[in-house]
Amino acid sequence: MDRNQTILGNVEPDITQRLVSRREAILKGAAVGSSVAAGLAMMSAPIAFAALSREAFGQSTPTSVQAVIDFALKLEIFENEFYKAVLGISAVPAQNAAFAAVRAMVPAAAIPSIQQIQKHEVEHVAFLTANGAVNSLRLDGTSFDFTGGRGTGTGPFAQATLDVNFLLLVAQGAEDTGVRAYKGQAPNLMSNPAVLEAALRIHSVEARHASKIRRLRRMTGATSVKYSGTITGGGAGAAGAGNVSNPAAGAVTALGLIYAGEDNVMQGGINVTALPNLPSGIDVTAAATEAFDEPLTASAVVAIVQPFFIPSLS
Amino acid sequence: MSDKGRTFVVSATEQFWKPSSRRSFLKLLGVGGTLVLAPTLFEACDSYTPVTAPGTGGSGGAAALDLSTDIGILNYAYALEQLEAAFYTAVVGSAAFGSLNAEQQEVMNDLRNHEVIHREFFKAALGAGAIGSLAFNSTAVASTLTSGAVILKNAETFEDLGVSAYNGAGKYLKSADYLTLAGKIVSVEARHAAAIRDIRDAAGVSGGDATGTRFAGDDVVASTGATAGLDVKLEPSSVLSRVGSTGLLTTMVSISASPSGTATPDAGPPSPTP
Repeated sequence: MDRNQTILGNVEPDITQRLVSRREAILKGAAVGSSVAAGLAMMSAPIAFAALSREAFGQSTPTSVQAVIDFALKLEIFENEFYKAVLGISAVPAQNAAFAAVRAMVPAAAIPSIQQIQKHEVEHVAFLTANGAVNSLRLDGTSFDFTGGRGTGTGPFAQATLDVNFLLLVAQGAEDTGVRAYKGQAPNLMSNPAVLEAALRIHSVEARHASKIRRLRRMTGATSVKYSGTITGGGAGAAGAGNVSNPAAGAVTALGLIYAGEDNVMQGGINVTALPNLPSGIDVTAAATEAFDEPLTASAVVAIVQPFFIPSLS
Repeated sequence: MSDKGRTFVVSATEQFWKPSSRRSFLKLLGVGGTLVLAPTLFEACDSYTPVTAPGTGGSGGAAALDLSTDIGILNYAYALEQLEAAFYTAVVGSAAFGSLNAEQQEVMNDLRNHEVIHREFFKAALGAGAIGSLAFNSTAVASTLTSGAVILKNAETFEDLGVSAYNGAGKYLKSADYLTLAGKIVSVEARHAAAIRDIRDAAGVSGGDATGTRFAGDDVVASTGATAGLDVKLEPSSVLSRVGSTGLLTTMVSISASPSGTATPDAGPPSPTP
């Protein structure tokens, strides 16, 4: 390790961590190309690192696999800490206290569902970490302001601590954002099929979560939300916030970002609403938007979630 | 001697339990041979009728999938969407549909709409490269619709199988655009799966899952080991084997070339579905 630190002394710490964790992965038997093995055999970190840059991070850009799993880890920690606060099991007493009032309003039957979701978020954090994702911002329960106020505690989502309908709306927004984020990053993982497949398997779990939260909302008065758990239309209207009274203007704006573009009906150059043989008598536009979920770019996701993160994500 | 180009015919599910068949099967997967799921398999009958080559499968015709190409992978998805669309179209026209409650009927109608859209989308997108329309065994289809509970059980099977299929095939796509398209569809299938599972949860079907957790139950989302928190996935050959065992298709669907890439261990939903 001393040798590594000396050689990498001038390298950005984040990169050093990545290299060390990649090196650990290699020592644990991960398959690597012969040039990496040769570099390691010669104990020449720069050679191994250069090879890893090509083989593990993609052909040319280091924004690939490592950046994606680091980004995913941030989102999973956020989701996990959110549900922990909602359930009253955060390590941060103030987070638990903030949701104490609304916690008592959550239907008893919904608690096991929320616990199941939170369990998966913990597992996603563990999976990403075990596969080399780095929590470079050292995010923990103290890193978030679930009112969307960047630490003021008075953001546009403060209503979630008082109104259970609004709380579930926020959970839905978090899950749907997660689905869109993973979908948007999938092409950046193509250089590593194993990681891509794992990400797809996390992506569909987030979609299951989103569906369940939507169904919970439908059962508690959100009449424009579908029992099928799918997203109808786009923009703030796709949130189905009809059962939430007087949401803050900032919350409506945020919901508009979360569902921006979900009303797309052009898929692969084909207008889905104009396809032949569709069932008669249906709302074709609604069905077309429900049948395809849309991706978001990393920057669009950051714009949505930054208000909930106290540290800067950019 | 190479097995490349040779054909391995699976005409009864029991063949997978016979060591010699399994060995030939695995050997062929390794060298890009042809796997044929014969109509006898789809009809799920106990009798064994040898079929020697693709294209002699009978009235349902044949569809060969070259999974070494993106077009082949998309056709694989098209085949599955055809199956789902046919099922839900039959559901909403069935006698038992009327026994479902309003919530369940809304979901069945939505799923019919979405799956028909997926089917027609793939057909249009693939154009001249599309496989033909699959043919179904009407007796077998009718057997999936005998009651509301049976409909919901089969819907769960199809949706979880769809999620498994897309999750297992994504890594074989070479085009980022196609991967994104598949991603747009698989999350909708996962929403469907969760909805159906949640409906059955409320109806008292646990399948071993704690009440309130079946939407993403431990029987589909791994809860232990290195893959804890990850959803189902199946390799294409496993998916087609399961489709075959439903007996719904009379078209002989075969894999004429294996995917180019490394297969991963399967983690499928329970089969049969509880």
